[in-house]
Amino acid sequence: MIQIVLARNGVLNQARSIPLRSRALLHQSSRLLNEKNPKPEELKSPEDLARQSHLNSKPIDFTNYAPVRPGKKKTLLSDSKYESKDYQLPKWKEAFGELVIRTLNLDMDKVRSGPVAGSYYYALCKNVALQYEGEKLSETAKFFYQDLKLPRTFSQWFQITILHEWLLFVRMRAMPFKYGRNYQQKLVDRTFTDIEARLFDEMNVTTGRIVDQYLKDFNTQLRGAVFAYDEGFYTDDATLAAALWRNLFGGRKNIDMVHLEAMVRYVRSQLYVLSRMSDRDFAVGSFKFVPPDETVERLTAEQEAQLKQKTIEKYESIDNDPKILPSDRSRLSYKN
Amino acid sequence: MSSSAAVRDSAKQILKIIEKLPDERIKHLVSFKDSQAERFRRVAGLQSTDKNEKKASLEDIKDIITRTSGPLGLQKDLLKKVQSALPQDELTEQSIQEQMRALSNISNNKFKNYYDVGEKLYKPAGNPIYYQRIMDEIQGKQKETFLSALRTVVFGK
Repeated sequence: MIQIVLARNGVLNQARSIPLRSRALLHQSSRLLNEKNPKPEELKSPEDLARQSHLNSKPIDFTNYAPVRPGKKKTLLSDSKYESKDYQLPKWKEAFGELVIRTLNLDMDKVRSGPVAGSYYYALCKNVALQYEGEKLSETAKFFYQDLKLPRTFSQWFQITILHEWLLFVRMRAMPFKYGRNYQQKLVDRTFTDIEARLFDEMNVTTGRIVDQYLKDFNTQLRGAVFAYDEGFYTDDATLAAALWRNLFGGRKNIDMVHLEAMVRYVRSQLYVLSRMSDRDFAVGSFKFVPPDETVERLTAEQEAQLKQKTIEKYESIDNDPKILPSDRSRLSYKN
Repeated sequence: MSSSAAVRDSAKQILKIIEKLPDERIKHLVSFKDSQAERFRRVAGLQSTDKNEKKASLEDIKDIITRTSGPLGLQKDLLKKVQSALPQDELTEQSIQEQMRALSNISNNKFKNYYDVGEKLYKPAGNPIYYQRIMDEIQGKQKETFLSALRTVVFGK
């Protein structure tokens, strides 16, 4: 019934993430992108930036080395068949759903917040730094745990996850208020139900009282982090760096400034990509975080116009289609 | 110039950059600026500043505790351990240069300017005064009143 459109916009994709390997080619084929960046070091991805540091510091680790063990039911989101990728809704159910939406005139932008923010976007945030003891780290997790030398703990995973959620919050605030707030709410709700389940299942906490205490603590951390990142985002890089240092790096004294710089770059580049996305594109779930080993380059004015044009064409054709399904309707703007 | 002298020299330059970093608008248990100044002061071989001056006063600590529900789950002994442990840096000429470059990039707002997100995110459509309100509050320009706070809780903005 609710199709999350995952089609990624060609132009945006091309411009936002240029893997290092293909950069040389791009350099030859189009000098457009590199005109403003005469120095080659400007183009380093956050991961390369972090790796080039020669500071051999070992952060003091005060964690009690509680490893995250895969629980009994290790699923990214839930066991529900509706959240599995292969599940196809039977045709009659789909038709019935469309009928309900049409007769009750449901606001699909509100309905969509659940599957998009609560499921798809939460999965993105969760997956960035998900790690289990004895299992191979994913590419993004390697950046955080190996390159940035962060401890492999549950609370560190939480810090990385809320940083990514905050990135999405910033974009959600720019949506019309009632929808943006709904998206934020769905994302936060999902985070805490998931953490609660994981604390029981994976961290072997046995009593609800202790889990409640942890959840309250995580809630405080979330509020503090969102506030600190907001302040840093609005003011300057130094404040953002201090916020990252305090939250993400746990205030370690021998912080490697190169790592901090890499993270500031990472955060600002993700926000840049988010800022070039239209409300509609973002709301249907077309966004993906740029992996840390890829470089985000600025769009030129022409590319930006081209991107806007493509988005407008795409959604105009959807909206003007007389056979459009009621569940595909949206009132969100695709022109901003 | 021998390498250790070069390291000390660079550390002094880093200290200058750190001094220029903006002060915290809100007091935290440990400040980034102060802790890093202390760290590089040792590398530069300078006397550390008066300890009492930088320690949080009783009022500061009370203020922090009333703002948060507790010192964020940190136990007292752990807090002490964190405070007393001072990692030794092994900085070479090359690595301290890198540190300096990174820090100056941060303090020059390089990435905020490079990846400019524009008014779209700084004045978000759903709540255009969101960031301004936060800044006004922490800079003490315009304090939230009970009624405006209530309005935020009820209506969300």
